[in-house]
Amino acid sequence: MTAKILDGRKLSREIREELKGRINELKEKGITPGLGGLLVGEDPGSVTYVGLKSKACEEVGLREEIVRLPEDVTEEDLLKSIAKLNQDPKIHGIFIQLPLPGHLSEEKALASILPQKDVDGFHPLSVGKAWLGQPTFFPAVVVAIQEMLTRYGYDPEGKEAVIVNVDNMVGKPLASLLVQDKDKARANVTLCYPTTPDLASYTRRADILVVSVNKPKFITADMVKEGALVMDFGSNWVEDPTTGKRKTVGDVDFEAVKEKAEAITPVPGGIGPMLVTMLLANTVWAAEMQSSRK
Amino acid sequence: MPAEIIDGRRIAEQIREELKERIGKLKTKGVVPGLAVVLVGEDPASLSYIRGIERVGQACGIYVEVLKLPAEIEQEELEVRIEELNQNPKFHGIILQLPLPRHLDSLSAESKISPQKDVDGTNPVNTGKLLLGEETFFPSTPYGVQELLLRSGYSPEGKRVAICGRSNIVGKPLAAILMQKKSGANATVTICHTRTKDLASVTREADIIVAAMGKAKAITADMVKEGAVVIDVGVNPMKDPETGKTKLVGDVDFEAVKEKAGAITPVPGGTGPVTSVMLMANTVRAAEQLAEI
Repeated sequence: MTAKILDGRKLSREIREELKGRINELKEKGITPGLGGLLVGEDPGSVTYVGLKSKACEEVGLREEIVRLPEDVTEEDLLKSIAKLNQDPKIHGIFIQLPLPGHLSEEKALASILPQKDVDGFHPLSVGKAWLGQPTFFPAVVVAIQEMLTRYGYDPEGKEAVIVNVDNMVGKPLASLLVQDKDKARANVTLCYPTTPDLASYTRRADILVVSVNKPKFITADMVKEGALVMDFGSNWVEDPTTGKRKTVGDVDFEAVKEKAEAITPVPGGIGPMLVTMLLANTVWAAEMQSSRK
Repeated sequence: MPAEIIDGRRIAEQIREELKERIGKLKTKGVVPGLAVVLVGEDPASLSYIRGIERVGQACGIYVEVLKLPAEIEQEELEVRIEELNQNPKFHGIILQLPLPRHLDSLSAESKISPQKDVDGTNPVNTGKLLLGEETFFPSTPYGVQELLLRSGYSPEGKRVAICGRSNIVGKPLAAILMQKKSGANATVTICHTRTKDLASVTREADIIVAAMGKAKAITADMVKEGAVVIDVGVNPMKDPETGKTKLVGDVDFEAVKEKAGAITPVPGGTGPVTSVMLMANTVRAAEQLAEI
């Protein structure tokens, strides 16, 4: 049987509709949720991505403010700009578009965001609270994966989740979300490096397999258990051998694996389109919390 | 062949000797490492743990002071006292002994400990740094587990590690330590817990099993791979059926598992002695950092 395709574009549209409702409720109380962003330099990928975030804010009715700083900005000026957003009551969530130029410390910049506004969930306090099971923000990709699973009716509880990625942006926060004794979690979690010896012996056990290694066809059908849920967060530019055209593919050998899996995210159109939406969702949540505290 | 018994007492002594040297160096600069222990109320288990800390501190040459606060103290007052310790240059490390009486919020109190003096790594900021792989203090129990493994020649690098238990003081921080891309870590970590469906199928594949479930003899011989390294963090009081006396046993069925494992820690005498000495190691490091050595 062919796997169910987890459609990130469709889900993303649905969630944005829900967000509009929550945003309207906030607006009735006189609050327009605001997202502030910092973009340093003119890296084309970053510029495009920030553009997507701005457009999405506009679509759902969020206020957005992008602070553009020159490539050679000093750390002091960067931190000043962050402090300004921290103090701005119209801004409820803040993101820093990564990567930053080499002379700037990402660690320092991220740690200077006010934790209540840390909608990317990269501040050490957010990371710590997440790991300890306290309410906090999780990075968009992690919430996206959880939402895609649960909205399609797959509860992670009691499942074997194997994550092939141990970095700070994906693997660790996802483990942090799925391992907790909470609803939509309670999974048995294993974190693997792409270099883990005998990786297939882990992936073959997985009820939920998450991969983010940026290597095309890294996960082949023989590495996947019959009936698994396969979440692909890879993005690779490859040339199509028949047409000669370049296209984006994930880390999973999609055509083969979809014959074996219960459900699978495609690339493109899977987790990717969910990312900006989940950032918006975090910002709306931040605004709701900040307004209820007053 | 019976397993090698990993002797926690001997390793603790070794670490203590190394600490003495570092403390000696600090003292020539006029610095005596100081540890403040905040105790609220008079929980008997806490009192006995603290006596252990005082003993180890004394043996190393670390100044340990216990700040005893009444059980009915208000949150605000407790946090004021922690703030005073943060400001007090005599103390390089501060720990808050848990559990606190019910009316107190321990996470809020732990958040008040200055991250530079948070030698048990309980301030959530330090938890975050730990998971992110940044420089911070490791909580002493999981730190001790890592030291036991490394010093007995069983490096976790490239190994399959099954951690049984996801508590905030052992399971989670240990997972965070061992999963990092760093020397002495680099393990493939599985975090198991009460909701894990088939625990044995995970532990049976593990090169290293860490039992931190708080359940006597929960890890049985059939759950262990031949030659595996078994680290037992459990401490459970149990009545001996023959003598009627209460003794401490771990989470591992020691007698049976030791016939199958490659190496195993006993209870008592395994992870316990190393835990308190790691707290001292963190205090010495805090003092070195503040003295800029």
